[in-house]
Amino acid sequence: MNILTKKEPQTATPRRTILPRYDVREEADAFTVTIDLPGVERSAVETAVENETLTIFGRRAWTPPAEWTPLHRESAVADYRLTLELNRRVNHEAIRAELSQGVLTLTLPKAEAVKPRKIEISG
Amino acid sequence: MKIIRYQNSPLYNPATCFTGLREEMDRLFDVAFPTLSSLQREGGFLGEGLGDFPIDLYQEKNAYVVRAELPGFRKEDLNVEVADGILTVTGHQKTEKKSDEKGKDSSVATQERRVSRSISLPEHIDNDKIGATYENGVLTVTLPKREEVKPKSIAIDVK
Repeated sequence: MNILTKKEPQTATPRRTILPRYDVREEADAFTVTIDLPGVERSAVETAVENETLTIFGRRAWTPPAEWTPLHRESAVADYRLTLELNRRVNHEAIRAELSQGVLTLTLPKAEAVKPRKIEISG
Repeated sequence: MKIIRYQNSPLYNPATCFTGLREEMDRLFDVAFPTLSSLQREGGFLGEGLGDFPIDLYQEKNAYVVRAELPGFRKEDLNVEVADGILTVTGHQKTEKKSDEKGKDSSVATQERRVSRSISLPEHIDNDKIGATYENGVLTVTLPKREEVKPKSIAIDVK
């Protein structure tokens, strides 16, 4: 439990961040990354791709009302930040993101050049 | 003699040193045991029915509020129960995933995810007025206190 965070204004920029739980799966023509962001609203998710780095930031907007007394706390008072290095060629323009019940699903289509291609043997 | 530059080390800044250390440890574990986190996600690592998720308990004037982080469930897969002053939150999800190989006979893989936590409530609550909502992967259970346990002011005759 962190007592200090309660007093922190909502707009405080350098808030503590934690690494969310995530999973990466490879499919035939895309990579799927699922990231657990419980407590994060759609508007509080920022996804950015710069060069070959994918950054996901999720801000937890909910704070307990002042008159609530915490009796037991296990959840982290922190925002989520995940940085993934894209070591595989991905079509940046076609990245899709979907947030549903605290799970962000990112679909990163593979770049044409790296998609498995079957080459017919002729002759 | 200085071999390592400290300036850019996450351990150097006392304000953020533990955050950095924790992130570093998380990353290290992810790299060293990549299957661990995915097993935990499915609740398999801790054995069936013992999956873990964080729970917070707050006290309001007239109620207790429990918040549980359970991302990725469907509302109907969550179950909230109160018996004998113990609140039990269960999540059970079955997902059927068809292999996306087109044309071939599609094999169906069933993935089960089971989580459960119980916490004892500080005092008796009104079982009939329990309410629960599920939003952004967070389950909020509101447990109103029973009338008789709400603080009452009693006039005392002072002799």
